[in-house]
Amino acid sequence: MSNGQNGAELRLVTPGMAIGPSAGMRVGSGALAQNDTIIATRLGWVKQLNNTVSVDPINSAYMPRSGDLIVATVAEVRNNLWFMNINGPFQGLLPMSLAPWKVEFGAARQHMGIGDVVLARVQEVDECHNVVLTMKGVGLRRLNQGSVHSIPVTHIERLRGEGNATIQRLRDACDCRIIVGENGKVWVDGDADGIAWARQAIDLVHTSGHKKTFEADMSALEKNAPNNGDA
Amino acid sequence: MGGYGDVQLLRDDGLRLDGRKLDEMRPVSIEAGILPAADGSAMVTHGLNVAVAAVYGPMEAHPRKIQRQDRAVIDVRYNMAPFSTSDRIRPGFNRRSREISKVTAEALESVVLVERYPRSKIRVEIEILAAEAGTRCAGLTAAAVALADAGIPMRDLIVGVASGKVEGIVVLDLDKAEDNYGQADLPVGILPNTGEIAFLQMDGDLSPDEYNLAMEYNFKAAAEIHEIMVDALKRRYEGGEN
Amino acid sequence: MVELVPTLLRQELARLAEDDLRLDGRGQWEGRDVDLQIDCLYNAEGSAKVVMGKTIVYAGVKFELRTPWPDRPSQGSLMCGAELRPVAHRKYEPGPPSPQSIELGRVVDRGIRESGCIDMESLCIVPGEKVWGVMIDIHVLSDGGNVFDACGLAAIAALRTAVVPAERFDVGEDYTLKVKGTPIMASFTRVGGRYIYDPSEEEELGGDERIHITLGDEGHLHSLQKGLRGVFTPAEFAEIFDVAHQRCAELRKLVATQEGN
Repeated sequence: MSNGQNGAELRLVTPGMAIGPSAGMRVGSGALAQNDTIIATRLGWVKQLNNTVSVDPINSAYMPRSGDLIVATVAEVRNNLWFMNINGPFQGLLPMSLAPWKVEFGAARQHMGIGDVVLARVQEVDECHNVVLTMKGVGLRRLNQGSVHSIPVTHIERLRGEGNATIQRLRDACDCRIIVGENGKVWVDGDADGIAWARQAIDLVHTSGHKKTFEADMSALEKNAPNNGDA
Repeated sequence: MGGYGDVQLLRDDGLRLDGRKLDEMRPVSIEAGILPAADGSAMVTHGLNVAVAAVYGPMEAHPRKIQRQDRAVIDVRYNMAPFSTSDRIRPGFNRRSREISKVTAEALESVVLVERYPRSKIRVEIEILAAEAGTRCAGLTAAAVALADAGIPMRDLIVGVASGKVEGIVVLDLDKAEDNYGQADLPVGILPNTGEIAFLQMDGDLSPDEYNLAMEYNFKAAAEIHEIMVDALKRRYEGGEN
Repeated sequence: MVELVPTLLRQELARLAEDDLRLDGRGQWEGRDVDLQIDCLYNAEGSAKVVMGKTIVYAGVKFELRTPWPDRPSQGSLMCGAELRPVAHRKYEPGPPSPQSIELGRVVDRGIRESGCIDMESLCIVPGEKVWGVMIDIHVLSDGGNVFDACGLAAIAALRTAVVPAERFDVGEDYTLKVKGTPIMASFTRVGGRYIYDPSEEEELGGDERIHITLGDEGHLHSLQKGLRGVFTPAEFAEIFDVAHQRCAELRKLVATQEGN
């Protein structure tokens, strides 16, 4: 019954702040048990789900997990692999064997050069943050057109909306293809008006997605959407 | 401490030159998230001191020799702007700023959950724009708010505060004249929730009793500043309902 | 640290340029809103803060007494330095001033110095013995693009508020530094093949060479600088020179308004 996501006033906590007694509770992310108390370790909203207390951080760096779909940029090319900027603390490594093409040793550069943007998946992450990427899989490819936008990783869920409702709303309004990378990079492709509108909408989610005024602001923005007439 | 002794720092009515009571701190205000390019940031105005802190990271630790396989390192730079003091400071790192940077980094490493980010570095840049005694404390407070703003996991915040002694009397939060002509200064970094101490320096002359009183003042001030820090962090997201 | 330039960004900037558009919706010669505050630093003898979009810059003026150069016994000196501090962006690394910082400081310095807005003779206290050295230090706290214009504006605005601290140095009474004129810088970057005024961070990242023009009150040139890899034509310069006149006049008015308050 104690689902912190609905109803009751949400609590904003700062690091070190006591959330409640630890007896009978499990400690989730963004919190830790100290003596008999659960304390917050991050600035964020308290979540209590079943018997687990956690803090949803307001801000966070991207920490890759295996399976994540991400938008990455080639940072370095070697004979048989690429190093990718994945918007996290460490670069990701794409070996030749996980590229979508059959690559001869020494020919990596012919397929992708520095600055190229790709849709990739995180294959593996070890405890020392070594990140291996793969581009073998449906839809994984080099992105040859379109535009890349940024959003804090903590806002991704909000950008998608429940059951992807929000992101679908954006796609419909601007008639663009939009892919949200788990690493906070959002790829948008369509005509110039559509991309420009999508940029504004993504910024709105970023700046006021957590505010009560968001729905009204979003509706106002939708009135100026390129696809407004058809909707 | 200057310790000249011939400058009057307490008025006949027992108040200090600027009218403060012995255990009264200068006004403090804090704003979080003031630097758009940084991952986290804060500005602390403490009396006439202005300290700005920015946090970048976690990011891969470079150069490699500073990398730790089991945890993140915190790379702090405390720097006074050339125009921050009455005599211009030549730009660049000096012995004083190196020492303050080192002990500040170690204090922050005591609260940040550094083991979450092996081989990483968290950059903390502290810039003093105006100095009027107590910049290392204002800088430490700013750094703690900036780290929290950046979403870095920490087991507590840290509050920088100082007490000292003027004309043989223990006072809270020395201003410039008191710092120049006083007899002792005791800057500390206090973990407001646990009551532990992560930063400690002192110079001058304090008896054990005076030390205890100065510490008592520091803890009292830390509780007040902590509220201002929490308010600054919350204010940034006011109107929020997730 | 060299920043990675995504090919998609360059591609998008080129496409926008074809339609005469910019990423943030501005016109080709449109600047961001500028927020200027003067007299905002407690220990500086003159100070200013400039906010332009995500760019934040402080400038502070300090004075020192020094002996004049032997060949100019009755002249004081002026020095302007800028630091792109590592606080300002993740791309800036700690260490001695980078070539970028030095270029930035020197371009601002030349614009102010060569405009003649400070009469060096007026900085003399005792010829051959004692003159004022005026130092403007510019501190970039956040680089959100076009730090040059922000630094130029902060520096001249700070200088114009400066009060000579004669009492503290025991050489008479404090007085306001005499500054004749308001040299202003206007910067242009080639983005998607054409020049634009006041580049944002993304436009600088995906753009090419830049040109900085500092104009005095009469519209005369006092400093020019071309930076980064690239070339331009005389016709291109003529066009941005015209724009520079307008933008500089507007910013000069902003300085005057702030001083009036």
